[in-house]
Amino acid sequence: MLTTVAAGRVFDYSYCIGMYGMSGQGFWSPQDFVFGEGDLIYVISRGVEEIGQRITRVTRDHQFLGQFGASGRGDGQFVWPRSIDLDSQGNVFASDDFLNRISIFDKEGTFLSSWGEVGSGEGELAGPSGIAFDGDDNLLVVDSANNRIQKFTKEGAFLGGFGQPGNGDGEFNLPWGICVDRAGDVYVADWKNNRVQSFDADGNFKVMFEGNDNGVGDLHGPTGVAVDSEGDVYITDWGNHRVQVFGSDGHFVTTLVGDAQQPSPWTQTYIDANPDIIKARRRANMEPEWRFRRPVAVNVDQNDSIFVLEAGRHRLQVYDKVKDYEEHSLNL
Amino acid sequence: MPDKEQIALMGHLMRRAGFGAARQELEERATKSYEATVEELLHPEEKPPIDEDILYRYMPGYEGALGPPINQAEWVYRMVNTERPLEEKLALFWHQLFATGNSKVDNPPEITQQIAMFRRQAFGDFRDLLVELAKNPAMIYWLDNNGNHNGAINENWGRELLELFSMGVGNYSEDDIKDASRAFTGWTIEPKIPRNPLGRFYWNFEYRPEDHDDGEKSFLGHEGRFNGEDIIDIVVKQPATARFLARHLYNFFVADEPQVPSWNINPPNDPDAIDQLVAAYDESDGNLRAMLRVLFNSDFFKNARFAHVKSPAELVVSTVRLAGNFEGPRPGFNSLAFECNYQGQELLNPPSVESWHTGGEWIDGGALVRRVNFAAGLMGDISLPGVKTIISDLKHRGATSPQEFVDGCLDLVGPLDFSEATKSELLDQATEDGGLNWESEAESEKSKQKIGVMLALIGASRDFQFA
Repeated sequence: MLTTVAAGRVFDYSYCIGMYGMSGQGFWSPQDFVFGEGDLIYVISRGVEEIGQRITRVTRDHQFLGQFGASGRGDGQFVWPRSIDLDSQGNVFASDDFLNRISIFDKEGTFLSSWGEVGSGEGELAGPSGIAFDGDDNLLVVDSANNRIQKFTKEGAFLGGFGQPGNGDGEFNLPWGICVDRAGDVYVADWKNNRVQSFDADGNFKVMFEGNDNGVGDLHGPTGVAVDSEGDVYITDWGNHRVQVFGSDGHFVTTLVGDAQQPSPWTQTYIDANPDIIKARRRANMEPEWRFRRPVAVNVDQNDSIFVLEAGRHRLQVYDKVKDYEEHSLNL
Repeated sequence: MPDKEQIALMGHLMRRAGFGAARQELEERATKSYEATVEELLHPEEKPPIDEDILYRYMPGYEGALGPPINQAEWVYRMVNTERPLEEKLALFWHQLFATGNSKVDNPPEITQQIAMFRRQAFGDFRDLLVELAKNPAMIYWLDNNGNHNGAINENWGRELLELFSMGVGNYSEDDIKDASRAFTGWTIEPKIPRNPLGRFYWNFEYRPEDHDDGEKSFLGHEGRFNGEDIIDIVVKQPATARFLARHLYNFFVADEPQVPSWNINPPNDPDAIDQLVAAYDESDGNLRAMLRVLFNSDFFKNARFAHVKSPAELVVSTVRLAGNFEGPRPGFNSLAFECNYQGQELLNPPSVESWHTGGEWIDGGALVRRVNFAAGLMGDISLPGVKTIISDLKHRGATSPQEFVDGCLDLVGPLDFSEATKSELLDQATEDGGLNWESEAESEKSKQKIGVMLALIGASRDFQFA
């Protein structure tokens, strides 16, 4: 359904951005995105093998503004690009979980520097996955294969960390995504443990987000997490191809499954240019196209619109959290 | 501790029922017994499948990839990393037997789905496998059954079901083909969502009763208003089917046979072996696990060492497993897929429904150069983990003389049963190099280099082309 009403919340599907593209206009197995100045969005594509790795600059109204980064192991290049965030000056930080490094670009995409040493000691990285800046402009890195979170200055100086392997509170099994909410709490998608954990800024465990004994709120390989202005928590449930919504205390609220019934303008242009595709789409049951496929990252903007990135469909789906929704006539 | 012959026999089993195994694994398996290993291989459900979450987390572009070589690379990843070697080997066997090619299907993820179906059905009844095959969207498209309509039949699927997938030429009539085709009318594919510009959507089987010819049919002496499954029920009870399948299993797992198109004029190389497999088929009502149990425990299998030319996929995957440099997700599996292609085996894209010609026909001048360069390049790379293990084992054995050096390498790589001529050449090389010396760091380093050269020579040898 286009509008989801649950537990006092209303989520209204709005529109989608993007399509598949090996390069240029489009994304390819995108892994993460971040809001930039104005209506700018940076989307990082993983591609496959040595093709398609890049960061795309796109606006919320579908303007393709170019791309930067490329395939390779040199400066400003990627093998397995994974996550992206901006510092307070708008510089772009991107992780690569094969090269074990963080690459830094200015807001236009000019390469500035990189840092990261492989290993398991303090400040060393093994498969850096999600990254997120905290309120002090320090970078939190999900050091995935080391099953911990590490904090660095922007220049890569180690500041501290928390977490260890396991499945107890504050323990991780191949964690993936991370976010910092308005209060400074840290949320980590504990991927192989099928749950999300939140911590205070010092790394003390706070809340567990996971399915209950009856399977309600289940997660299978959660990847991304975001928190809105009211404290609701959005988790990309990658293995189940859906977004799970929880309250701030960890109680399950509802599920979003993807509702892109109307193709994005890029997609529509492609369709309109191919009469055979138009015919085929009129013959087929198109519902599978509407639904999320490998949702991988989620962010909430200042208006509590929820942007969900799909690695498997190479697009963003956008939902609005409607605050003034009323059902005037229940006997329709 | 198992003796050398027990380890050699285990090496033979693992080369054929899988893609080879490292020395330590061979010793552990041989300690448990040959028969126990056969049973373990026949029951893959006791081992974990490939962790697809891990695979698609690190290589998301592999899932439903738009085109080759990525889809081929995904399969190579599975072959290299599987803990269920016989299941994966059987997927390759069924792909070779039920050859379905991307040259026409133009949707490699759909053929990958077919391969996944082969894994699911690999150890069940041949009847169920054929039913699933008949419903498989890639096969339906490949052999035009989506164009096989009530009143306007397309015989492609019906013909190949009998000619190439079950009985073989000479065991049915043209009228049998026509009525088999009529029985499969209405077996088609749901309207498909186009692949672009949002990626692949899987195809689904659809049965349309309004397009099915429900009339009376005559098939192999049976009369009735047959549907597709009725045809398969009759097919799997034919003696020709048991014999055809037995010969395919023998050709793939035991020893190279003449090429399939000549089977109606060339008898099997070992008729007694085929009879044993046919008996297993008959006694088990066509159960594949039962046939394979007889095959792997038979003397004809145990005595057929190095009687099979490695297919490109077998050569590439077994060499990589030996070298140990492609464990788990990492970039570069596409290079292994390309290597299979260059050696003459495009996985997911066999040259025709008749499939690849096998045995000695894998080898021509160009393919041989690729095979030799690939195997020698990996085995001679002393930085690779599998090669390091061989070096370490040789050192641990205290191998020093040229003879010990050669014998040790052949033993640890296989054990390999090389011809006297090849062994003599390897010994000449070892003698010229002066054997191995582990007494100082400098001498040890030289010895490692010598072992690398020796292993590269083994990989480049004629004998190494055989499994």
